Amino acid sequence: MQFFGGSEISPSPPVPTASGNNAHMMYVFNRNGICLLYKEWNRPLHTLNPQQDHKLMFGLLFSLKSLTAKMDPVNADKGNLGVPQLPGQGCSFHSFRTNTYKLSFMETPSGIKIILVTHPKTGDLRESLKYIYSLYVEYVVKNPIYSPGSPIKSELFNTALDQYVRSIS
Amino acid sequence: MVREVAESCVDTMLMEMVAMYSGRFYANKPELAARRIEAIGYQVGHQLSERYTMERPRFSDHLEAIKFICKDFWSEVFKKQIDNLKTNHRGTFVLQDNKFRWLSRVSVEPSPEKETEDPSTPGESKAAQAVSMYLYFPCGIIRGVLSNLGIPCAVSADISSLPTCSFVIRVKA
Repeated sequence: MQFFGGSEISPSPPVPTASGNNAHMMYVFNRNGICLLYKEWNRPLHTLNPQQDHKLMFGLLFSLKSLTAKMDPVNADKGNLGVPQLPGQGCSFHSFRTNTYKLSFMETPSGIKIILVTHPKTGDLRESLKYIYSLYVEYVVKNPIYSPGSPIKSELFNTALDQYVRSIS
Repeated sequence: MVREVAESCVDTMLMEMVAMYSGRFYANKPELAARRIEAIGYQVGHQLSERYTMERPRFSDHLEAIKFICKDFWSEVFKKQIDNLKTNHRGTFVLQDNKFRWLSRVSVEPSPEKETEDPSTPGESKAAQAVSMYLYFPCGIIRGVLSNLGIPCAVSADISSLPTCSFVIRVKA
Protein backbone atom coordinates (compact mmCIF):
# COMPACT_ATOMS: atom_id res chain seq x y z
CA MET A 1 0.00 0.00 0.00
CA GLN A 2 1.83 3.08 -1.16
CA PHE A 3 0.35 6.51 -0.70
CA PHE A 4 2.81 8.30 -2.94
CA GLY A 5 4.95 6.50 -5.49
CA GLY A 6 8.53 6.01 -4.34
CA SER A 7 9.87 9.21 -5.78
CA GLU A 8 13.60 9.48 -6.30
CA ILE A 9 13.46 13.17 -5.51
CA SER A 10 12.55 12.84 -1.85
CA PRO A 11 15.63 12.20 0.26
CA SER A 12 16.20 8.65 1.35
CA PRO A 13 19.13 7.02 3.09
CA PRO A 14 21.70 5.23 0.93
CA VAL A 15 20.98 1.60 0.12
CA PRO A 16 23.01 -0.62 2.44
CA THR A 17 24.76 -3.43 0.59
CA ALA A 18 23.28 -6.38 2.45
CA SER A 19 25.98 -5.87 5.04
CA GLY A 20 23.75 -7.31 7.68
CA ASN A 21 21.80 -4.37 9.02
CA ASN A 22 19.00 -3.71 6.62
CA ALA A 23 16.32 -4.24 9.22
CA HIS A 24 15.62 -1.47 11.68
CA MET A 25 13.38 -3.19 14.14
CA MET A 26 10.82 -5.91 14.63
CA TYR A 27 7.72 -6.39 16.73
CA VAL A 28 5.72 -9.51 17.49
CA PHE A 29 2.31 -9.08 19.07
CA ASN A 30 -0.22 -11.66 20.10
CA ARG A 31 -3.97 -11.47 19.73
CA ASN A 32 -4.42 -9.50 22.96
CA GLY A 33 -1.94 -6.79 22.09
CA ILE A 34 0.84 -8.07 24.31
CA CYS A 35 4.19 -7.36 22.75
CA LEU A 36 5.89 -10.75 22.76
CA LEU A 37 9.08 -9.57 21.17
CA TYR A 38 10.70 -6.28 20.27
CA LYS A 39 14.05 -6.40 18.54
CA GLU A 40 16.10 -3.49 17.36
CA TRP A 41 18.99 -3.62 14.96
CA ASN A 42 19.37 -0.10 13.74
CA ARG A 43 17.15 2.59 15.22
CA PRO A 44 18.86 5.92 15.69
CA LEU A 45 15.64 7.79 16.52
CA HIS A 46 13.46 6.92 19.51
CA THR A 47 10.38 9.11 19.74
CA LEU A 48 8.38 7.43 22.47
CA ASN A 49 9.11 5.27 25.47
CA PRO A 50 8.78 1.51 24.86
CA GLN A 51 5.27 1.11 26.33
CA GLN A 52 3.80 3.93 24.27
CA ASP A 53 5.71 2.75 21.26
CA HIS A 54 4.22 -0.75 21.47
CA LYS A 55 0.73 0.55 22.12
CA LEU A 56 0.94 2.94 19.21
CA MET A 57 2.17 0.20 16.89
CA PHE A 58 -0.57 -2.21 17.89
CA GLY A 59 -3.26 0.45 17.64
CA LEU A 60 -1.99 1.56 14.27
CA LEU A 61 -2.14 -1.92 12.84
CA PHE A 62 -5.57 -2.56 14.22
CA SER A 63 -6.87 0.64 12.63
CA LEU A 64 -5.10 0.02 9.35
CA LYS A 65 -6.52 -3.48 9.07
CA SER A 66 -9.97 -2.14 9.74
CA LEU A 67 -9.54 0.73 7.27
CA THR A 68 -8.27 -1.45 4.46
CA ALA A 69 -11.09 -3.95 4.88
CA LYS A 70 -13.76 -1.25 4.92
CA MET A 71 -12.37 0.67 1.94
CA ASP A 72 -12.06 -2.43 -0.20
CA PRO A 73 -13.75 -1.70 -3.55
CA VAL A 74 -13.41 -5.22 -4.86
CA ASN A 75 -14.48 -7.77 -2.28
CA ALA A 76 -18.23 -8.30 -2.19
CA ASP A 77 -18.11 -10.42 0.94
CA LYS A 78 -17.85 -8.20 4.01
CA GLY A 79 -16.01 -10.57 6.28
CA ASN A 80 -16.19 -10.11 10.01
CA LEU A 81 -13.04 -8.38 11.14
CA GLY A 82 -12.52 -10.65 14.11
CA VAL A 83 -12.53 -13.83 12.06
CA PRO A 84 -9.12 -15.50 11.79
CA GLN A 85 -7.93 -15.56 8.18
CA LEU A 86 -4.96 -17.02 6.44
CA PRO A 87 -2.41 -14.43 5.39
CA GLY A 88 -3.56 -13.23 1.99
CA GLN A 89 -7.21 -14.20 2.36
CA GLY A 90 -9.88 -11.58 2.54
CA CYS A 91 -8.53 -8.04 2.48
CA SER A 92 -5.41 -7.62 4.56
CA PHE A 93 -2.76 -5.01 4.19
CA HIS A 94 0.81 -6.24 4.12
CA SER A 95 3.10 -3.24 3.97
CA PHE A 96 3.40 0.51 3.79
CA ARG A 97 6.32 2.58 2.72
CA THR A 98 7.55 6.04 3.56
CA ASN A 99 10.64 7.79 2.23
CA THR A 100 12.70 6.58 5.17
CA TYR A 101 11.39 3.08 5.93
CA LYS A 102 9.14 0.27 4.86
CA LEU A 103 6.90 -1.50 7.35
CA SER A 104 5.91 -5.08 6.49
CA PHE A 105 3.16 -6.83 8.37
CA MET A 106 1.75 -10.31 8.61
CA GLU A 107 -1.04 -11.67 10.76
CA THR A 108 -1.57 -15.37 11.26
CA PRO A 109 -4.93 -17.07 11.90
CA SER A 110 -3.90 -17.48 15.54
CA GLY A 111 -3.61 -13.72 15.95
CA ILE A 112 0.17 -13.46 15.99
CA LYS A 113 1.23 -10.25 14.27
CA ILE A 114 4.74 -9.92 12.93
CA ILE A 115 5.99 -6.46 11.96
CA LEU A 116 9.31 -5.81 10.33
CA VAL A 117 10.56 -2.30 9.67
CA THR A 118 13.25 -2.12 7.04
CA HIS A 119 14.92 0.09 4.50
CA PRO A 120 12.46 1.60 1.98
CA LYS A 121 14.04 -0.12 -1.01
CA THR A 122 13.24 -3.58 0.44
CA GLY A 123 11.16 -5.84 -1.76
CA ASP A 124 8.17 -7.91 -0.78
CA LEU A 125 8.84 -9.51 2.58
CA ARG A 126 5.79 -11.73 2.83
CA GLU A 127 7.77 -14.93 2.36
CA SER A 128 10.33 -13.75 4.90
CA LEU A 129 7.62 -13.04 7.43
CA LYS A 130 6.20 -16.51 6.86
CA TYR A 131 9.63 -17.97 7.53
CA ILE A 132 9.94 -15.93 10.70
CA TYR A 133 6.59 -17.29 11.79
CA SER A 134 7.85 -20.81 11.18
CA LEU A 135 10.85 -20.02 13.38
CA TYR A 136 8.43 -18.80 16.04
CA VAL A 137 6.46 -22.05 15.88
CA GLU A 138 9.58 -24.15 15.98
CA TYR A 139 11.46 -22.49 18.80
CA VAL A 140 8.84 -20.72 20.86
CA VAL A 141 5.58 -22.61 20.61
CA LYS A 142 7.29 -25.99 20.83
CA ASN A 143 9.48 -24.91 23.73
CA PRO A 144 8.13 -26.79 26.75
CA ILE A 145 9.02 -24.03 29.18
CA TYR A 146 7.43 -21.18 27.26
CA SER A 147 4.05 -20.06 28.52
CA PRO A 148 1.86 -18.57 25.76
CA GLY A 149 1.18 -14.89 26.15
CA SER A 150 4.44 -14.09 27.87
CA PRO A 151 7.38 -12.24 26.32
CA ILE A 152 9.69 -14.45 24.31
CA LYS A 153 13.03 -15.06 25.97
CA SER A 154 14.26 -18.08 24.04
CA GLU A 155 17.91 -17.89 23.09
CA LEU A 156 17.50 -20.38 20.25
CA PHE A 157 14.76 -18.26 18.74
CA ASN A 158 16.68 -15.03 19.14
CA THR A 159 19.81 -16.44 17.54
CA ALA A 160 18.00 -18.01 14.60
CA LEU A 161 15.95 -14.87 14.05
CA ASP A 162 18.95 -12.58 14.23
CA GLN A 163 20.83 -14.71 11.74
CA TYR A 164 17.92 -14.81 9.35
CA VAL A 165 17.04 -11.13 9.47
CA ARG A 166 20.63 -10.11 8.90
CA SER A 167 20.63 -12.19 5.75
CA ILE A 168 17.55 -10.52 4.24
CA SER A 169 18.72 -8.06 1.64
CA MET B 1 1.12 -51.92 8.25
CA VAL B 2 2.90 -49.06 9.92
CA ARG B 3 0.72 -46.26 11.19
CA GLU B 4 2.34 -42.87 11.50
CA VAL B 5 1.75 -39.87 13.70
CA ALA B 6 3.11 -36.36 13.23
CA GLU B 7 6.06 -35.71 15.49
CA SER B 8 4.64 -32.39 16.60
CA CYS B 9 1.68 -34.29 18.05
CA VAL B 10 3.99 -36.42 20.15
CA ASP B 11 6.01 -33.39 21.24
CA THR B 12 2.93 -31.45 22.25
CA MET B 13 1.50 -34.41 24.09
CA LEU B 14 4.69 -34.85 26.10
CA MET B 15 4.68 -31.14 26.95
CA GLU B 16 1.08 -31.34 28.07
CA MET B 17 1.72 -34.47 30.12
CA VAL B 18 4.41 -32.75 32.13
CA ALA B 19 2.35 -29.58 32.43
CA MET B 20 -0.68 -31.53 33.65
CA TYR B 21 1.18 -33.62 36.19
CA SER B 22 3.37 -30.90 37.59
CA GLY B 23 0.87 -28.08 37.22
CA ARG B 24 -2.50 -29.64 37.96
CA PHE B 25 -2.48 -33.10 39.48
CA TYR B 26 0.44 -32.77 41.84
CA ALA B 27 0.78 -29.03 41.77
CA ASN B 28 2.99 -28.54 44.82
CA LYS B 29 4.52 -31.97 44.97
CA PRO B 30 7.11 -32.19 42.22
CA GLU B 31 8.49 -35.49 43.53
CA LEU B 32 5.11 -37.19 43.18
CA ALA B 33 4.59 -35.73 39.72
CA ALA B 34 8.06 -36.91 38.75
CA ARG B 35 7.39 -40.38 40.03
CA ARG B 36 4.10 -40.59 38.13
CA ILE B 37 5.67 -39.43 34.89
CA GLU B 38 8.53 -41.87 35.35
CA ALA B 39 6.02 -44.67 35.92
CA ILE B 40 4.28 -43.83 32.65
CA GLY B 41 7.67 -43.91 30.95
CA TYR B 42 8.31 -47.30 32.53
CA GLN B 43 5.16 -48.77 30.98
CA VAL B 44 6.00 -47.26 27.60
CA GLY B 45 9.55 -48.59 27.73
CA HIS B 46 8.27 -52.03 28.67
CA GLN B 47 6.02 -52.20 25.63
CA LEU B 48 8.49 -50.64 23.23
CA SER B 49 11.17 -53.13 24.21
CA GLU B 50 8.79 -56.00 23.38
CA ARG B 51 8.19 -54.53 19.97
CA TYR B 52 11.80 -53.79 19.12
CA THR B 53 13.34 -57.05 20.35
CA MET B 54 10.85 -59.32 18.65
CA GLU B 55 13.20 -61.08 16.25
CA ARG B 56 16.33 -60.93 18.34
CA PRO B 57 17.90 -63.64 20.51
CA ARG B 58 18.46 -63.02 24.19
CA PHE B 59 21.20 -60.63 25.21
CA SER B 60 24.30 -62.38 26.52
CA ASP B 61 25.18 -59.80 29.13
CA HIS B 62 24.32 -56.37 30.46
CA LEU B 63 26.68 -54.59 28.12
CA GLU B 64 24.98 -56.12 25.09
CA ALA B 65 21.61 -54.93 26.33
CA ILE B 66 22.92 -51.41 26.94
CA LYS B 67 24.45 -51.40 23.47
CA PHE B 68 21.09 -52.39 22.06
CA ILE B 69 19.57 -49.37 23.78
CA CYS B 70 22.30 -47.08 22.50
CA LYS B 71 22.04 -48.19 18.89
CA ASP B 72 18.83 -49.86 17.79
CA PHE B 73 16.42 -48.63 20.41
CA TRP B 74 17.60 -45.01 20.34
CA SER B 75 17.44 -44.98 16.52
CA GLU B 76 13.89 -46.29 16.56
CA VAL B 77 12.69 -43.79 19.12
CA PHE B 78 14.86 -40.72 18.50
CA LYS B 79 16.13 -41.30 14.94
CA LYS B 80 19.75 -41.20 16.03
CA GLN B 81 22.13 -43.24 18.14
CA ILE B 82 23.64 -42.44 21.47
CA ASP B 83 26.82 -40.45 20.87
CA ASN B 84 28.90 -41.63 23.79
CA LEU B 85 28.73 -44.61 26.13
CA LYS B 86 30.83 -44.81 29.26
CA THR B 87 30.91 -47.50 31.89
CA ASN B 88 32.84 -48.28 35.02
CA HIS B 89 32.36 -52.00 34.42
CA ARG B 90 30.77 -52.24 37.84
CA GLY B 91 27.15 -51.69 36.91
CA THR B 92 27.13 -47.97 36.07
CA PHE B 93 26.63 -46.78 32.50
CA VAL B 94 26.48 -43.24 31.20
CA LEU B 95 24.69 -42.67 27.89
CA GLN B 96 25.37 -39.30 26.35
CA ASP B 97 23.19 -37.82 23.64
CA ASN B 98 24.67 -34.63 22.22
CA LYS B 99 21.42 -33.30 20.87
CA PHE B 100 18.55 -34.94 22.71
CA ARG B 101 15.55 -34.70 20.44
CA TRP B 102 12.97 -33.88 23.07
CA LEU B 103 15.09 -31.08 24.47
CA SER B 104 16.19 -29.62 21.15
CA ARG B 105 13.83 -26.66 21.41
CA VAL B 106 14.19 -25.97 25.09
CA SER B 107 15.92 -22.74 25.72
CA VAL B 108 16.44 -21.28 29.14
CA GLU B 109 16.07 -17.54 29.17
CA PRO B 110 19.30 -15.60 29.49
CA SER B 111 19.33 -13.63 32.73
CA PRO B 112 20.70 -10.13 32.20
CA GLU B 113 20.10 -8.72 35.68
CA LYS B 114 22.22 -11.11 37.70
CA GLU B 115 25.47 -9.63 38.87
CA THR B 116 27.02 -12.78 40.26
CA GLU B 117 27.47 -15.99 38.32
CA ASP B 118 26.28 -18.00 41.31
CA PRO B 119 24.76 -21.26 40.03
CA SER B 120 22.68 -21.77 43.15
CA THR B 121 20.56 -18.66 42.69
CA PRO B 122 16.80 -19.37 42.79
CA GLY B 123 16.22 -18.36 39.16
CA GLU B 124 18.79 -20.81 37.86
CA SER B 125 17.51 -23.77 39.84
CA LYS B 126 13.89 -23.03 38.93
CA ALA B 127 14.74 -23.16 35.26
CA ALA B 128 16.82 -26.29 35.77
CA GLN B 129 13.98 -27.89 37.72
CA ALA B 130 11.48 -27.00 35.01
CA VAL B 131 13.62 -28.65 32.37
CA SER B 132 14.39 -31.68 34.52
CA MET B 133 10.66 -32.50 34.69
CA TYR B 134 10.83 -33.33 31.00
CA LEU B 135 13.53 -35.90 31.57
CA TYR B 136 11.61 -38.21 33.87
CA PHE B 137 9.72 -39.69 30.94
CA PRO B 138 12.80 -40.80 28.95
CA CYS B 139 14.42 -42.06 32.16
CA GLY B 140 11.32 -44.18 32.75
CA ILE B 141 11.46 -45.48 29.21
CA ILE B 142 15.04 -46.66 29.66
CA ARG B 143 14.21 -48.27 33.00
CA GLY B 144 11.22 -50.02 31.42
CA VAL B 145 13.28 -51.39 28.56
CA LEU B 146 15.99 -52.73 30.83
CA SER B 147 13.63 -54.28 33.31
CA ASN B 148 11.84 -56.09 30.50
CA LEU B 149 15.22 -57.45 29.42
CA GLY B 150 15.75 -58.74 32.93
CA ILE B 151 18.02 -55.99 34.23
CA PRO B 152 16.58 -54.06 37.18
CA CYS B 153 18.17 -50.65 37.45
CA ALA B 154 17.78 -47.01 38.39
CA VAL B 155 18.04 -44.31 35.75
CA SER B 156 18.67 -40.62 36.21
CA ALA B 157 19.46 -37.79 33.83
CA ASP B 158 21.98 -35.01 33.86
CA ILE B 159 21.51 -31.77 31.94
CA SER B 160 24.45 -29.67 32.93
CA SER B 161 24.93 -28.62 29.32
CA LEU B 162 21.89 -28.36 27.08
CA PRO B 163 21.16 -29.73 24.50
CA THR B 164 23.57 -32.47 25.51
CA CYS B 165 21.84 -34.88 27.83
CA SER B 166 23.38 -37.77 29.78
CA PHE B 167 21.43 -40.70 31.19
CA VAL B 168 23.06 -42.52 34.09
CA ILE B 169 22.04 -46.15 34.51
CA ARG B 170 22.87 -47.92 37.75
CA VAL B 171 22.24 -51.65 37.53
CA LYS B 172 20.97 -53.17 40.76
CA ALA B 173 23.28 -55.97 41.79
